Amino acid sequence: MQLRLEKRPEPSRVLLYGAPVLAVLLTMVVGAILFSLLGYDGVGSVLEIFTRPLTNPLKWQDLGVKAAPLIIIGVGLSIAYRANVWNIGAEGQYVAGALGGTAVVLLTMNMEGPWILPVMIVGGILGGMALAAIPAFLKTQLNVNEILTTLMLNYAIVQLLYYLLRSPWKDPMAFGFPRTKMFTADQSLPYLWSGTIMTWGVPIALLVAVAAWFLIGRTVFGFQVRTVGSAPNAARHGGFSAKQTVWLALLASGGLAGLAGVLEAAGPFRQLVPAFPTGYGFTAIIVAFLGRLNPLGVVIAGIVLAISYVGGEIAQTTMGLPSAATGIFQGMLLFFLLAGDVFVRYRLRVVSARPAGGTA
Amino acid sequence: MSPEFIVAIVAAIVLVATPILLAGLGELVVEKSGVLNLGVEGMMLIGAVTGFAATATWGNPYLGVIAAAVAGAAASMIFGFLTLTLSANQVATGLALTIFGGGFSALAGKPFLGKTVPAFVQLFPDALALHPIWRVVFGYSPVVYFSLFMCVAIAWFLKRTRAGLILRAVGENDQSAHAIGYSVIGVRYMAVAFGGAMAGIAGSMFSMVMTPIWAEGLTAGRGWIALALVVFASWRPFRLLAGAYVFGAVMTLEVHAKAAGGIFSALPPEMWAALPYLATLLVLVLISLRRSAASSAPACLGRPFIPTA
Repeated sequence: MQLRLEKRPEPSRVLLYGAPVLAVLLTMVVGAILFSLLGYDGVGSVLEIFTRPLTNPLKWQDLGVKAAPLIIIGVGLSIAYRANVWNIGAEGQYVAGALGGTAVVLLTMNMEGPWILPVMIVGGILGGMALAAIPAFLKTQLNVNEILTTLMLNYAIVQLLYYLLRSPWKDPMAFGFPRTKMFTADQSLPYLWSGTIMTWGVPIALLVAVAAWFLIGRTVFGFQVRTVGSAPNAARHGGFSAKQTVWLALLASGGLAGLAGVLEAAGPFRQLVPAFPTGYGFTAIIVAFLGRLNPLGVVIAGIVLAISYVGGEIAQTTMGLPSAATGIFQGMLLFFLLAGDVFVRYRLRVVSARPAGGTA
Repeated sequence: MSPEFIVAIVAAIVLVATPILLAGLGELVVEKSGVLNLGVEGMMLIGAVTGFAATATWGNPYLGVIAAAVAGAAASMIFGFLTLTLSANQVATGLALTIFGGGFSALAGKPFLGKTVPAFVQLFPDALALHPIWRVVFGYSPVVYFSLFMCVAIAWFLKRTRAGLILRAVGENDQSAHAIGYSVIGVRYMAVAFGGAMAGIAGSMFSMVMTPIWAEGLTAGRGWIALALVVFASWRPFRLLAGAYVFGAVMTLEVHAKAAGGIFSALPPEMWAALPYLATLLVLVLISLRRSAASSAPACLGRPFIPTA
């Protein structure tokens, strides 16, 4: 007896949108079982992590703060993955964005004016794009695998961050701590209204998602990305350049990761510290998949992953779970989602005996 | 520099190099079969916590290492089922395994936080290592000698055995291997399980040999270095051995660069820390420039296998 995949004539629409929901539910059920097996209160932990952020209105703002960078990076990755360009360097591009923005901050420390923040944002986008340009160049000119190059750069750029904070960018008044000066008011992202912790990062994230949705669905750029990704031969005949698409995919995803980085630095952080890289760039990969590589889906997926972060923090204080335990849910969610994705296009058949002449 | 200092430095390099060598050898076999498993870091963490828990429970580090290998292999089977049976995306599945492994080890290891376990006794009796210079050869825990043995064994297996040839064929041209009658998926399952076991053992070194004390996330990204190492070695076992020790030396320098003085302290320590990744980038570029078949990536690396016929 053997399991075999059989291609469906048409991708299942029900599963396409049902799979993410199913994946979230399965994650909660299996997570509760796993936590119980490890000696924790399984059902209690799952309820704490997944429902408390929603039932406690005080936490809604936290959701917005956590979801914004995930959505912005996730939208960029959706564009890249649709073009079949496997950028897994968003974490590094996010850091590069923060570096780009902070470079502007340090140059404008003694200046004032509303022009500073937009320049910082441009600096951040350019920072992310610059780091993504390296794998784009290597892929298009030398055919070097972008998975490996984007991955390596994540770790190299973090060392650059450490170096800058330890030496040239260090605040001399920081008692030897490796961190920059606090950003001035003109260099910080304003709050949406007084008394909230949500900055303009939240509406910017929504704007990015809507703009990308329009770009992918309604423009030639989007058509090019989708065609090169799903039907490279047809794209070649149609006159779309594969190399150009690689560049566009990497610059778009790198630029958006950079935007998320500078918004995070100018928003919640308001200075650069060694703890700045928090893994948003990796989590955003889950966000992109959970959102079906669709910018509007990414918004929902970003909120779901934000729930797991905020819920994880709540469970840390109320139930004493380690904060890293959130990773169990995020990892499982991606497992179930990827498994579910397969059944959108294939169905599993049990083959009892192999046909004559066939070999195992 | 006194002999004691040199011995201490060499011992430090060996200690840092061994886990990335073990995990790298495992991943090399996986990638030779045409599969890219980015979950090395996660499998290492699962191995680290399992090895620690088993040793703490049973009091025997050998049982601990075996438990770590079994746990690493078990974790790799999640990856195997998704990518081989269900043909899911290997990049995303591997990342999911790394994220999952980090969470799982943190949660499962929480009761052991700050606890210690009995360490390995050295394989060779102290009498052999009386002079400091002899300690360079005889002064390590058994896992170190195991890693060297595995390097030779894997090189021999891949190059000289029929099974090794089949494994390489599956990685280079899965459709042809399938047409000849080999089970592509079966071979890949075995390779992935082997890679998982090796990553598990590598992880157990962090919790049982390097610092016999449990701490969350103690592998500190070395799984990614192991992945870089496989590319750096252009998929060859002995180059991987050399690369592991070069990376090990660089990572040791990163800590001791200031103390070593001279040219070592001229570069900032962050530069040393970034060097393994930058060197790997450079090797990727060189491979693509040279295009010699022997040192390029397995042709089917990362592609799911779905038989055409």
